[in-house]
Amino acid sequence: MLKEFFISLLHYFVDITTAVLIAAASYLTISGQQMDSIILWEILLSGFITALPSAVLICLDTKSVRLSLILWIVHFILIFCTTLILLDVFGWCSITPESALLTFLAVVFIYLFTCLVHYLVDRKHTSLMNQQLKKRYSNEEDHR
Amino acid sequence: MRIIIESPQPDDEDVVIVRCASPDQRLISMLLSFQTAQTELTGYMDDKIVRLNYQDVYYFEANENRVFAYYHSDVYEVKYKLYELEELFGPLDFIRCSKSMIVNMEKIEYISPLFSGKLEAHLKNGEKVLISRQYVHSLKVKLGIEEVD
Repeated sequence: MLKEFFISLLHYFVDITTAVLIAAASYLTISGQQMDSIILWEILLSGFITALPSAVLICLDTKSVRLSLILWIVHFILIFCTTLILLDVFGWCSITPESALLTFLAVVFIYLFTCLVHYLVDRKHTSLMNQQLKKRYSNEEDHR
Repeated sequence: MRIIIESPQPDDEDVVIVRCASPDQRLISMLLSFQTAQTELTGYMDDKIVRLNYQDVYYFEANENRVFAYYHSDVYEVKYKLYELEELFGPLDFIRCSKSMIVNMEKIEYISPLFSGKLEAHLKNGEKVLISRQYVHSLKVKLGIEEVD
């Protein structure tokens, strides 16, 4: 359980940090703003802070798809609020309706990016698992 | 392959010794099925008491302190705890897939990923069961994709 948590934490940290970096680079290029090098550390820290609840969520053993969906919605709201607070604390921008909307869009992008990366990795793993399942049981049927 | 059957000494117990270069999964499963075949699994449905064949069980599920065995379309209550069933059938093709469920790998049609980061096993009777992240490693070990820690 603990091992699974740390592996998930590392994966989410890498994925989220990459997505935040893409979002920040796009925003800075479009707006023409200049930022200090401290932003790199802030991006790393925000990646770690938002990866924590994601790693906890993935390790939770939910019984139904419905409960899982509710937890994901709660998780999304938590990530969105955390990001808003971090933006204010880091002084990236003040909380206004416009910045909240932009943050919401950025969080949606990062969320989809992370889920997509995980989905693609899992698809590769399940494909291998399905091959092994097929091999294992076609062998058994041949021997019957 | 030769099959040799020897009589043990009068006070010795019966022993099965397998001498082979590399025992494959099929051989181990066969030997374990022989041992588990002694295990009586009784199912209860309404007033009926049925002797269950573990090979026909799709999955076991614990629900409100009761444990159920799911067949293709029937559901029987069994008087075992989930961890006891895991000990009994774990060496065979049964694997814990969540805190409350043990699934028969032989009944899995295929596994697919979910966008939520979990995996889903599609069973041969059309049912779908969730595979929790923490049990994926043991499933991979059983399938020979990963090694035991």
